[in-house]
Amino acid sequence: MSLLASIDWHFIREHLPDFWQGLKNTLKVAGIGIAGSLAIGILLGAARAHRIPVISQLAAAYVEVIRNTPILVQIFFIAYGLPELPWHPIHLTQFTQAWLSVMIWGGAFNTENFRAGFEAVPARFREAARALGFGQVATFVNVTLPIGGRIALPSSINTYISVLKNTSLLTAIGYVELTSTGYNLESETFKATEIFIVLGIAYLAVVWTLSALIRLVEARLALPERGR
Amino acid sequence: MRRLSIAIAALLVAVAALAAWGAAPSAGKVAGGATPAAKPKLPPKPKRSKLPAEVRQRGKWVVGVKCDFAPFGFIDAGGKNDGYDVEVARRFAQLAFGSKTKLELVCVTTPSRIPTLQSKRVDIIVSTLTWTKARTEVIAYSIPYYSATGRLLVPNNSSIRTVRNLGGKTIVTTRGALYAAWTRNCFKDSKLLEVDSPALAVSAVKNGTADTFMFDDAFLLGVATQDRTLKLTNDKFLAIPWGVGIRKGEGAMAAWVNGAIRYMRAHDEFAKILKGVGRRTGAPSSLINSFLGTVPRPNNRFTYPFGKDPVSDCTSR
Repeated sequence: MSLLASIDWHFIREHLPDFWQGLKNTLKVAGIGIAGSLAIGILLGAARAHRIPVISQLAAAYVEVIRNTPILVQIFFIAYGLPELPWHPIHLTQFTQAWLSVMIWGGAFNTENFRAGFEAVPARFREAARALGFGQVATFVNVTLPIGGRIALPSSINTYISVLKNTSLLTAIGYVELTSTGYNLESETFKATEIFIVLGIAYLAVVWTLSALIRLVEARLALPERGR
Repeated sequence: MRRLSIAIAALLVAVAALAAWGAAPSAGKVAGGATPAAKPKLPPKPKRSKLPAEVRQRGKWVVGVKCDFAPFGFIDAGGKNDGYDVEVARRFAQLAFGSKTKLELVCVTTPSRIPTLQSKRVDIIVSTLTWTKARTEVIAYSIPYYSATGRLLVPNNSSIRTVRNLGGKTIVTTRGALYAAWTRNCFKDSKLLEVDSPALAVSAVKNGTADTFMFDDAFLLGVATQDRTLKLTNDKFLAIPWGVGIRKGEGAMAAWVNGAIRYMRAHDEFAKILKGVGRRTGAPSSLINSFLGTVPRPNNRFTYPFGKDPVSDCTSR
Protein backbone atom coordinates (compact mmCIF):
# COMPACT_ATOMS: atom_id res chain seq x y z
CA MET A 1 0.00 0.00 0.00
CA SER A 2 2.81 2.38 0.84
CA LEU A 3 4.30 1.75 -2.60
CA LEU A 4 1.13 3.12 -4.21
CA ALA A 5 1.22 6.10 -1.87
CA SER A 6 4.85 6.91 -2.67
CA ILE A 7 4.33 7.01 -6.43
CA ASP A 8 4.38 10.51 -7.83
CA TRP A 9 1.10 10.47 -9.80
CA HIS A 10 1.42 14.17 -10.61
CA PHE A 11 4.68 13.44 -12.42
CA ILE A 12 3.00 10.75 -14.49
CA ARG A 13 0.08 13.04 -15.41
CA GLU A 14 2.47 15.86 -16.28
CA HIS A 15 4.44 13.72 -18.72
CA LEU A 16 1.58 11.77 -20.29
CA PRO A 17 1.85 13.77 -23.55
CA ASP A 18 5.51 12.70 -23.88
CA PHE A 19 4.63 9.06 -23.30
CA TRP A 20 1.74 9.31 -25.75
CA GLN A 21 4.05 10.73 -28.41
CA GLY A 22 6.51 7.91 -27.75
CA LEU A 23 3.74 5.33 -27.97
CA LYS A 24 2.59 6.78 -31.30
CA ASN A 25 6.13 6.43 -32.63
CA THR A 26 6.30 2.84 -31.38
CA LEU A 27 3.03 2.00 -33.09
CA LYS A 28 4.11 3.67 -36.33
CA VAL A 29 7.34 1.68 -36.52
CA ALA A 30 5.73 -1.55 -35.32
CA GLY A 31 2.86 -1.14 -37.79
CA ILE A 32 5.16 -0.80 -40.76
CA GLY A 33 7.36 -3.58 -39.39
CA ILE A 34 4.47 -6.02 -38.95
CA ALA A 35 2.95 -5.27 -42.34
CA GLY A 36 6.35 -5.57 -44.01
CA SER A 37 7.23 -8.81 -42.26
CA LEU A 38 3.85 -10.25 -43.29
CA ALA A 39 4.59 -9.45 -46.92
CA ILE A 40 8.18 -10.73 -46.75
CA GLY A 41 7.02 -13.85 -44.91
CA ILE A 42 4.44 -14.77 -47.53
CA LEU A 43 6.65 -14.04 -50.54
CA LEU A 44 9.86 -15.64 -49.32
CA GLY A 45 8.00 -18.44 -47.51
CA ALA A 46 6.32 -19.31 -50.79
CA ALA A 47 9.63 -19.21 -52.64
CA ARG A 48 11.20 -21.52 -50.07
CA ALA A 49 8.21 -23.90 -49.98
CA HIS A 50 8.12 -24.18 -53.76
CA ARG A 51 11.90 -24.46 -53.98
CA ILE A 52 12.14 -21.71 -56.57
CA PRO A 53 15.81 -21.69 -57.64
CA VAL A 54 18.09 -18.76 -56.67
CA ILE A 55 15.42 -16.97 -54.62
CA SER A 56 15.05 -19.97 -52.36
CA GLN A 57 18.77 -20.13 -51.62
CA LEU A 58 19.05 -16.37 -51.12
CA ALA A 59 16.06 -16.44 -48.79
CA ALA A 60 17.64 -19.28 -46.82
CA ALA A 61 20.84 -17.26 -46.40
CA TYR A 62 18.84 -14.19 -45.31
CA VAL A 63 16.90 -16.19 -42.74
CA GLU A 64 20.03 -17.82 -41.32
CA VAL A 65 21.91 -14.53 -40.97
CA ILE A 66 19.03 -12.71 -39.31
CA ARG A 67 18.02 -15.55 -37.00
CA ASN A 68 21.55 -16.19 -35.81
CA THR A 69 22.55 -12.63 -34.97
CA PRO A 70 21.19 -10.45 -32.15
CA ILE A 71 18.70 -7.85 -33.29
CA LEU A 72 20.64 -5.14 -31.49
CA VAL A 73 23.65 -5.88 -33.69
CA GLN A 74 21.40 -5.68 -36.75
CA ILE A 75 20.04 -2.31 -35.62
CA PHE A 76 23.55 -0.96 -35.06
CA PHE A 77 24.67 -2.22 -38.43
CA ILE A 78 21.82 -0.51 -40.25
CA ALA A 79 22.25 2.74 -38.32
CA TYR A 80 26.03 3.01 -37.97
CA GLY A 81 27.46 0.43 -40.35
CA LEU A 82 25.64 1.27 -43.57
CA PRO A 83 26.76 4.93 -43.71
CA GLU A 84 30.37 3.78 -43.42
CA LEU A 85 30.38 1.15 -46.14
CA PRO A 86 33.56 1.90 -48.10
CA TRP A 87 32.28 1.56 -51.64
CA HIS A 88 28.71 2.82 -51.30
CA PRO A 89 27.71 4.45 -48.01
CA ILE A 90 23.96 4.33 -47.44
CA HIS A 91 22.40 7.16 -45.43
CA LEU A 92 18.88 6.60 -44.15
CA THR A 93 16.68 8.79 -42.01
CA GLN A 94 16.30 7.64 -38.44
CA PHE A 95 12.69 6.61 -38.99
CA THR A 96 13.69 4.50 -41.99
CA GLN A 97 16.47 2.85 -40.00
CA ALA A 98 13.90 2.04 -37.32
CA TRP A 99 11.21 0.36 -39.40
CA LEU A 100 13.73 -1.27 -41.71
CA SER A 101 15.52 -3.03 -38.84
CA VAL A 102 12.39 -4.46 -37.27
CA MET A 103 10.91 -5.37 -40.63
CA ILE A 104 14.02 -7.26 -41.74
CA TRP A 105 14.10 -9.10 -38.41
CA GLY A 106 10.39 -9.97 -38.46
CA GLY A 107 10.50 -10.95 -42.12
CA ALA A 108 13.16 -13.61 -41.50
CA PHE A 109 11.19 -15.29 -38.73
CA ASN A 110 7.95 -15.00 -40.65
CA THR A 111 9.54 -16.60 -43.71
CA GLU A 112 10.07 -19.74 -41.70
CA ASN A 113 6.56 -19.55 -40.24
CA PHE A 114 4.94 -19.34 -43.66
CA ARG A 115 7.25 -21.89 -45.23
CA ALA A 116 6.16 -24.38 -42.60
CA GLY A 117 2.53 -23.39 -43.13
CA PHE A 118 2.68 -23.80 -46.91
CA GLU A 119 4.51 -27.11 -46.68
CA ALA A 120 1.85 -28.38 -44.28
CA VAL A 121 -0.85 -28.03 -46.90
CA PRO A 122 -1.53 -31.64 -47.88
CA ALA A 123 -0.07 -32.48 -51.27
CA ARG A 124 -3.38 -33.89 -52.44
CA PHE A 125 -5.03 -30.46 -52.28
CA ARG A 126 -2.37 -28.98 -54.54
CA GLU A 127 -2.47 -31.95 -56.90
CA ALA A 128 -6.26 -31.64 -57.10
CA ALA A 129 -5.92 -27.99 -58.02
CA ARG A 130 -3.34 -28.79 -60.71
CA ALA A 131 -5.60 -31.55 -62.02
CA LEU A 132 -8.43 -29.03 -62.28
CA GLY A 133 -6.27 -26.89 -64.55
CA PHE A 134 -5.03 -24.24 -62.10
CA GLY A 135 -1.58 -22.88 -62.97
CA GLN A 136 1.25 -22.66 -60.45
CA VAL A 137 0.42 -19.15 -59.27
CA ALA A 138 -3.34 -19.76 -59.26
CA THR A 139 -2.84 -22.91 -57.17
CA PHE A 140 -0.79 -20.94 -54.73
CA VAL A 141 -3.22 -18.07 -54.45
CA ASN A 142 -6.40 -20.14 -54.29
CA VAL A 143 -5.29 -23.24 -52.38
CA THR A 144 -1.87 -23.05 -50.69
CA LEU A 145 -2.07 -19.50 -49.39
CA PRO A 146 -5.53 -19.64 -47.78
CA ILE A 147 -4.88 -22.96 -46.08
CA GLY A 148 -1.16 -22.60 -45.37
CA GLY A 149 -1.64 -19.04 -44.18
CA ARG A 150 -4.20 -20.14 -41.61
CA ILE A 151 -1.87 -22.90 -40.43
CA ALA A 152 0.95 -20.38 -40.06
CA LEU A 153 -1.19 -17.80 -38.24
CA PRO A 154 -0.54 -18.84 -34.62
CA SER A 155 3.24 -18.83 -35.03
CA SER A 156 3.23 -15.55 -36.89
CA ILE A 157 1.33 -14.00 -33.96
CA ASN A 158 4.47 -14.65 -31.90
CA THR A 159 6.59 -12.93 -34.52
CA TYR A 160 4.38 -9.84 -34.66
CA ILE A 161 4.34 -9.51 -30.88
CA SER A 162 8.12 -9.83 -30.86
CA VAL A 163 8.40 -7.17 -33.57
CA LEU A 164 6.38 -4.83 -31.38
CA LYS A 165 8.48 -5.52 -28.30
CA ASN A 166 11.73 -5.27 -30.22
CA THR A 167 10.95 -1.67 -31.13
CA SER A 168 12.08 -0.91 -27.58
CA LEU A 169 15.65 -1.72 -28.68
CA LEU A 170 15.56 1.28 -31.01
CA THR A 171 16.60 3.22 -27.91
CA ALA A 172 20.09 2.31 -29.01
CA ILE A 173 19.94 4.61 -32.03
CA GLY A 174 18.09 7.32 -30.16
CA TYR A 175 14.79 6.90 -31.99
CA VAL A 176 12.23 8.44 -29.64
CA GLU A 177 9.77 5.60 -29.21
CA LEU A 178 8.15 4.68 -25.90
CA THR A 179 11.10 3.06 -24.13
CA SER A 180 13.47 5.77 -25.33
CA THR A 181 11.12 8.45 -24.01
CA GLY A 182 11.02 6.73 -20.64
CA TYR A 183 14.78 6.28 -20.53
CA ASN A 184 15.48 9.92 -21.49
CA LEU A 185 13.04 11.12 -18.84
CA GLU A 186 14.62 8.87 -16.23
CA SER A 187 18.08 10.25 -17.02
CA GLU A 188 16.89 13.74 -16.16
CA THR A 189 14.38 13.24 -13.38
CA PHE A 190 15.48 9.91 -11.82
CA LYS A 191 11.88 8.83 -11.21
CA ALA A 192 12.48 5.28 -12.36
CA THR A 193 9.53 3.64 -10.55
CA GLU A 194 6.91 5.95 -12.03
CA ILE A 195 8.36 5.81 -15.52
CA PHE A 196 8.71 2.05 -15.69
CA ILE A 197 5.20 1.53 -14.29
CA VAL A 198 3.86 3.61 -17.15
CA LEU A 199 6.00 1.76 -19.69
CA GLY A 200 4.97 -1.61 -18.31
CA ILE A 201 1.27 -0.80 -18.45
CA ALA A 202 1.54 0.73 -21.91
CA TYR A 203 3.36 -2.22 -23.44
CA LEU A 204 1.11 -4.72 -21.70
CA ALA A 205 -1.97 -2.96 -23.03
CA VAL A 206 -0.67 -2.65 -26.58
CA VAL A 207 0.69 -6.19 -26.89
CA TRP A 208 -2.40 -7.72 -25.32
CA THR A 209 -4.63 -5.76 -27.70
CA LEU A 210 -2.55 -6.84 -30.67
CA SER A 211 -2.67 -10.51 -29.76
CA ALA A 212 -6.40 -10.32 -28.97
CA LEU A 213 -7.00 -8.78 -32.40
CA ILE A 214 -5.01 -11.46 -34.15
CA ARG A 215 -6.74 -14.21 -32.21
CA LEU A 216 -10.05 -12.72 -33.29
CA VAL A 217 -8.91 -12.90 -36.91
CA GLU A 218 -7.70 -16.44 -36.34
CA ALA A 219 -11.05 -17.50 -34.88
CA ARG A 220 -12.94 -16.09 -37.84
CA LEU A 221 -10.60 -17.75 -40.32
CA ALA A 222 -10.48 -21.09 -38.53
CA LEU A 223 -10.21 -24.09 -40.78
CA PRO A 224 -13.05 -26.57 -40.46
CA GLU A 225 -12.14 -29.83 -38.78
CA ARG A 226 -9.88 -31.76 -41.14
CA GLY A 227 -11.27 -35.15 -40.30
CA ARG A 228 -11.96 -36.18 -43.87
CA MET B 1 16.61 -43.69 -12.61
CA ARG B 2 17.87 -44.17 -9.07
CA ARG B 3 21.46 -43.64 -10.19
CA LEU B 4 20.40 -40.48 -12.00
CA SER B 5 18.77 -39.08 -8.84
CA ILE B 6 21.89 -39.88 -6.82
CA ALA B 7 24.04 -38.13 -9.43
CA ILE B 8 21.84 -35.03 -9.39
CA ALA B 9 21.84 -34.95 -5.59
CA ALA B 10 25.64 -35.23 -5.54
CA LEU B 11 25.91 -32.40 -8.08
CA LEU B 12 23.66 -30.15 -5.98
CA VAL B 13 25.72 -30.88 -2.86
CA ALA B 14 28.91 -30.06 -4.78
CA VAL B 15 27.46 -26.78 -6.02
CA ALA B 16 26.31 -25.87 -2.51
CA ALA B 17 29.75 -26.66 -1.11
CA LEU B 18 31.46 -24.54 -3.78
CA ALA B 19 29.12 -21.64 -3.06
CA ALA B 20 29.80 -21.87 0.67
CA TRP B 21 33.55 -22.08 0.04
CA GLY B 22 33.36 -19.01 -2.22
CA ALA B 23 31.40 -17.03 0.37
CA ALA B 24 33.59 -17.95 3.36
CA PRO B 25 36.78 -15.95 2.68
CA SER B 26 34.88 -12.66 2.06
CA ALA B 27 32.99 -13.15 5.33
CA GLY B 28 36.29 -13.67 7.07
CA LYS B 29 37.75 -10.57 5.38
CA VAL B 30 34.93 -8.32 6.57
CA ALA B 31 35.44 -9.51 10.16
CA GLY B 32 39.20 -9.12 9.91
CA GLY B 33 39.10 -5.70 8.22
CA ALA B 34 37.59 -3.96 11.22
CA THR B 35 40.81 -4.34 13.17
CA PRO B 36 43.71 -3.72 10.79
CA ALA B 37 46.93 -5.35 11.87
CA ALA B 38 49.32 -2.67 10.56
CA LYS B 39 48.34 0.96 9.88
CA PRO B 40 49.42 2.10 6.36
CA LYS B 41 51.95 4.91 6.23
CA LEU B 42 50.07 8.11 5.46
CA PRO B 43 51.47 11.33 3.97
CA PRO B 44 51.62 14.29 6.42
CA LYS B 45 48.01 14.92 7.35
CA PRO B 46 46.65 18.44 7.44
CA LYS B 47 43.68 19.10 9.69
CA ARG B 48 41.02 17.15 7.81
CA SER B 49 37.76 15.56 8.75
CA LYS B 50 37.56 11.93 9.68
CA LEU B 51 37.02 9.37 6.98
CA PRO B 52 33.41 8.13 6.93
CA ALA B 53 32.96 4.95 8.97
CA GLU B 54 31.90 2.57 6.19
CA VAL B 55 34.85 3.58 3.99
CA ARG B 56 37.28 3.25 6.89
CA GLN B 57 35.96 -0.21 7.77
CA ARG B 58 36.11 -1.38 4.17
CA GLY B 59 39.67 -0.20 3.84
CA LYS B 60 39.19 1.21 0.37
CA TRP B 61 37.14 3.69 -1.61
CA VAL B 62 34.57 2.50 -4.15
CA VAL B 63 34.26 5.27 -6.73
CA GLY B 64 32.16 5.52 -9.87
CA VAL B 65 34.10 6.89 -12.84
CA LYS B 66 33.57 7.14 -16.57
CA CYS B 67 35.27 4.56 -18.74
CA ASP B 68 34.46 5.99 -22.16
CA PHE B 69 35.20 9.72 -21.70
CA ALA B 70 38.76 10.73 -22.47
CA PRO B 71 40.65 12.46 -20.92
CA PHE B 72 38.65 12.26 -17.67
CA GLY B 73 37.75 8.60 -17.36
CA PHE B 74 38.82 6.05 -19.92
CA ILE B 75 40.62 2.75 -20.32
CA ASP B 76 44.17 3.12 -21.62
CA ALA B 77 45.91 0.88 -24.11
CA GLY B 78 47.08 -1.39 -21.29
CA GLY B 79 43.53 -1.95 -20.07
CA LYS B 80 43.85 0.22 -16.96
CA ASN B 81 41.63 3.10 -15.90
CA ASP B 82 43.19 6.49 -16.48
CA GLY B 83 42.09 10.09 -16.69
CA TYR B 84 41.70 13.26 -14.66
CA ASP B 85 38.72 11.98 -12.65
CA VAL B 86 40.40 8.64 -12.08
CA GLU B 87 43.59 10.32 -10.83
CA VAL B 88 41.54 12.46 -8.44
CA ALA B 89 39.92 9.28 -7.09
CA ARG B 90 43.35 7.65 -6.73
CA ARG B 91 44.60 10.68 -4.81
CA PHE B 92 41.60 10.39 -2.48
CA ALA B 93 42.57 6.77 -1.83
CA GLN B 94 46.13 7.83 -1.14
CA LEU B 95 45.06 10.61 1.24
CA ALA B 96 42.72 8.24 3.06
CA PHE B 97 44.74 5.03 3.24
CA GLY B 98 48.24 5.91 2.09
CA SER B 99 48.05 3.97 -1.15
CA LYS B 100 46.52 4.60 -4.55
CA THR B 101 45.58 0.94 -4.79
CA LYS B 102 43.03 1.10 -1.94
CA LEU B 103 40.45 1.94 -4.53
CA GLU B 104 37.78 0.08 -6.50
CA LEU B 105 36.69 1.83 -9.67
CA VAL B 106 33.21 1.16 -11.05
CA CYS B 107 32.42 2.17 -14.62
CA VAL B 108 29.37 4.40 -14.96
CA THR B 109 27.76 6.26 -17.86
CA THR B 110 25.97 9.60 -17.85
CA PRO B 111 22.51 8.09 -17.38
CA SER B 112 23.64 5.43 -14.90
CA ARG B 113 25.90 7.41 -12.58
CA ILE B 114 23.29 8.92 -10.28
CA PRO B 115 21.23 5.72 -9.90
CA THR B 116 24.50 3.87 -9.19
CA LEU B 117 25.29 6.38 -6.43
CA GLN B 118 21.78 6.29 -4.98
CA SER B 119 21.74 2.51 -4.85
CA LYS B 120 24.94 2.61 -2.70
CA ARG B 121 26.85 0.59 -5.24
CA VAL B 122 29.58 3.26 -4.91
CA ASP B 123 30.62 5.71 -2.17
CA ILE B 124 30.99 8.73 -4.43
CA ILE B 125 31.01 9.47 -8.14
CA VAL B 126 33.83 11.37 -9.82
CA SER B 127 32.37 11.17 -13.30
CA THR B 128 32.29 14.45 -15.22
CA LEU B 129 29.29 15.49 -13.15
CA THR B 130 28.30 19.05 -14.01
CA TRP B 131 26.36 21.02 -11.44
CA THR B 132 22.72 21.47 -12.35
CA LYS B 133 19.82 22.59 -10.18
CA ALA B 134 17.83 19.48 -11.11
CA ARG B 135 20.61 17.18 -9.93
CA THR B 136 20.99 19.02 -6.61
CA GLU B 137 17.47 17.89 -5.82
CA VAL B 138 18.56 14.25 -5.79
CA ILE B 139 22.23 14.31 -4.79
CA ALA B 140 24.73 16.55 -3.01
CA TYR B 141 27.81 18.08 -4.66
CA SER B 142 31.30 18.56 -3.29
CA ILE B 143 33.09 21.83 -3.97
CA PRO B 144 34.15 22.12 -7.64
CA TYR B 145 37.11 20.13 -8.93
CA TYR B 146 36.95 21.10 -12.62
CA SER B 147 35.17 23.57 -14.85
CA ALA B 148 34.10 22.69 -18.35
CA THR B 149 32.49 24.67 -21.13
CA GLY B 150 30.07 23.47 -23.75
CA ARG B 151 31.22 23.46 -27.35
CA LEU B 152 29.85 22.35 -30.71
CA LEU B 153 31.57 19.69 -32.81
CA VAL B 154 30.75 19.91 -36.52
CA PRO B 155 32.10 18.44 -39.77
CA ASN B 156 34.62 20.69 -41.51
CA ASN B 157 32.20 21.71 -44.26
CA SER B 158 29.36 22.54 -41.89
CA SER B 159 27.35 25.75 -42.22
CA ILE B 160 26.98 26.02 -38.45
CA ARG B 161 29.09 28.84 -37.01
CA THR B 162 27.57 29.49 -33.60
CA VAL B 163 24.93 28.26 -31.24
CA ARG B 164 22.52 30.68 -32.94
CA ASN B 165 22.68 28.78 -36.25
CA LEU B 166 21.02 25.68 -34.86
CA GLY B 167 17.48 26.29 -36.09
CA GLY B 168 16.18 23.23 -37.89
CA LYS B 169 19.37 21.26 -37.24
CA THR B 170 19.80 17.97 -35.43
CA ILE B 171 21.81 18.23 -32.21
CA VAL B 172 23.21 15.03 -30.73
CA THR B 173 24.34 14.61 -27.15
CA THR B 174 24.44 11.90 -24.53
CA ARG B 175 21.33 10.90 -22.63
CA GLY B 176 20.86 12.82 -19.41
CA ALA B 177 23.58 15.38 -20.17
CA LEU B 178 22.80 18.98 -19.26
CA TYR B 179 23.04 19.83 -22.94
CA ALA B 180 20.01 17.62 -23.59
CA ALA B 181 17.93 19.54 -21.07
CA TRP B 182 19.25 22.91 -22.35
CA THR B 183 18.44 21.97 -25.95
CA ARG B 184 14.95 20.88 -24.96
CA ASN B 185 14.39 24.18 -23.11
CA CYS B 186 16.08 26.65 -25.42
CA PHE B 187 16.28 25.15 -28.88
CA LYS B 188 12.74 24.18 -29.59
CA ASP B 189 13.23 24.54 -33.34
CA SER B 190 16.08 22.03 -33.38
CA LYS B 191 15.82 18.28 -33.28
CA LEU B 192 17.46 16.55 -30.32
CA LEU B 193 19.03 13.11 -30.65
CA GLU B 194 20.14 11.40 -27.44
CA VAL B 195 22.51 8.44 -27.55
CA ASP B 196 24.13 6.39 -24.83
CA SER B 197 27.81 7.10 -25.38
CA PRO B 198 30.00 9.99 -26.62
CA ALA B 199 31.54 7.68 -29.24
CA LEU B 200 28.14 6.99 -30.81
CA ALA B 201 27.45 10.71 -30.86
CA VAL B 202 30.68 11.35 -32.77
CA SER B 203 29.69 8.60 -35.23
CA ALA B 204 26.32 10.29 -35.68
CA VAL B 205 28.02 13.56 -36.68
CA LYS B 206 30.44 11.78 -38.98
CA ASN B 207 27.78 9.83 -40.85
CA GLY B 208 25.43 12.77 -41.13
CA THR B 209 22.67 11.54 -38.82
CA ALA B 210 23.27 14.65 -36.69
CA ASP B 211 24.51 18.09 -37.68
CA THR B 212 26.42 18.81 -34.50
CA PHE B 213 27.53 17.22 -31.23
CA MET B 214 27.05 19.50 -28.25
CA PHE B 215 29.34 18.40 -25.43
CA ASP B 216 32.15 19.29 -23.02
CA ASP B 217 35.20 21.09 -24.37
CA ALA B 218 37.87 18.70 -23.14
CA PHE B 219 36.32 15.64 -24.78
CA LEU B 220 35.51 17.43 -28.03
CA LEU B 221 38.97 18.94 -28.31
CA GLY B 222 40.44 15.47 -28.03
CA VAL B 223 38.14 14.23 -30.80
CA ALA B 224 38.87 17.18 -33.10
CA THR B 225 42.62 16.80 -32.57
CA GLN B 226 42.53 13.17 -33.60
CA ASP B 227 39.97 13.41 -36.41
CA ARG B 228 40.88 16.02 -38.96
CA THR B 229 37.47 15.93 -40.67
CA LEU B 230 35.79 17.45 -37.61
CA LYS B 231 36.24 20.82 -35.96
CA LEU B 232 34.84 22.90 -33.12
CA THR B 233 32.97 26.15 -33.60
CA ASN B 234 34.38 29.09 -31.69
CA ASP B 235 31.58 29.84 -29.29
CA LYS B 236 31.48 28.59 -25.72
CA PHE B 237 28.45 28.26 -23.51
CA LEU B 238 27.21 26.73 -20.27
CA ALA B 239 30.50 27.08 -18.41
CA ILE B 240 29.59 25.28 -15.20
CA PRO B 241 31.90 23.57 -12.72
CA TRP B 242 31.91 19.85 -12.02
CA GLY B 243 31.66 18.34 -8.56
CA VAL B 244 32.00 14.97 -6.90
CA GLY B 245 28.57 13.37 -6.47
CA ILE B 246 27.67 12.43 -2.89
CA ARG B 247 24.46 10.98 -1.49
CA LYS B 248 22.24 13.48 0.26
CA GLY B 249 22.47 13.44 4.04
CA GLU B 250 26.03 12.05 4.17
CA GLY B 251 27.66 14.97 5.91
CA ALA B 252 30.78 13.08 6.94
CA MET B 253 31.44 11.95 3.36
CA ALA B 254 30.94 15.47 2.01
CA ALA B 255 33.18 17.00 4.69
CA TRP B 256 36.01 14.58 3.95
CA VAL B 257 35.79 15.01 0.17
CA ASN B 258 35.67 18.81 0.43
CA GLY B 259 38.64 18.77 2.76
CA ALA B 260 40.59 16.60 0.33
CA ILE B 261 39.74 18.88 -2.60
CA ARG B 262 40.81 21.96 -0.63
CA TYR B 263 44.07 20.25 0.29
CA MET B 264 44.74 19.29 -3.34
CA ARG B 265 43.91 22.78 -4.56
CA ALA B 266 46.21 24.41 -2.00
CA HIS B 267 49.08 22.17 -3.15
CA ASP B 268 48.31 22.77 -6.87
CA GLU B 269 47.78 19.05 -7.32
CA PHE B 270 44.98 19.42 -9.87
CA ALA B 271 47.31 21.14 -12.32
CA LYS B 272 49.83 18.34 -11.81
CA ILE B 273 47.16 15.71 -12.51
CA LEU B 274 46.02 17.56 -15.62
CA LYS B 275 49.56 17.78 -16.98
CA GLY B 276 50.18 14.12 -16.23
CA VAL B 277 47.04 13.00 -18.05
CA GLY B 278 47.83 15.31 -20.95
CA ARG B 279 51.30 13.87 -21.26
CA ARG B 280 50.05 10.28 -21.14
CA THR B 281 47.40 10.92 -23.79
CA GLY B 282 49.94 12.57 -26.10
CA ALA B 283 48.33 16.01 -26.10
CA PRO B 284 50.62 18.89 -27.20
CA SER B 285 51.80 21.01 -24.25
CA SER B 286 50.20 24.13 -25.74
CA LEU B 287 46.83 22.41 -25.52
CA ILE B 288 47.47 21.27 -21.96
CA ASN B 289 48.50 24.78 -20.90
CA SER B 290 45.38 26.26 -22.45
CA PHE B 291 43.35 24.08 -20.09
CA LEU B 292 45.14 25.11 -16.89
CA GLY B 293 42.43 27.72 -16.28
CA THR B 294 39.82 24.98 -15.95
CA VAL B 295 41.27 23.31 -12.84
CA PRO B 296 41.21 24.62 -9.27
CA ARG B 297 44.54 26.24 -8.35
CA PRO B 298 45.76 28.19 -5.32
CA ASN B 299 44.75 31.42 -7.04
CA ASN B 300 41.83 30.03 -9.05
CA ARG B 301 38.67 28.70 -7.49
CA PHE B 302 35.24 28.05 -8.93
CA THR B 303 31.76 28.45 -7.55
CA TYR B 304 28.53 26.90 -8.67
CA PRO B 305 25.83 29.19 -10.11
CA PHE B 306 23.69 28.85 -6.98
CA GLY B 307 20.22 30.27 -7.22
CA LYS B 308 20.39 30.17 -11.02
CA ASP B 309 19.42 27.41 -13.37
CA PRO B 310 21.65 27.75 -16.45
CA VAL B 311 19.90 24.84 -18.09
CA SER B 312 16.66 26.81 -18.37
CA ASP B 313 18.43 30.10 -19.06
CA CYS B 314 17.91 30.73 -22.75
CA THR B 315 19.49 34.17 -22.82
CA SER B 316 22.97 32.73 -23.13
CA ARG B 317 22.26 31.41 -26.63
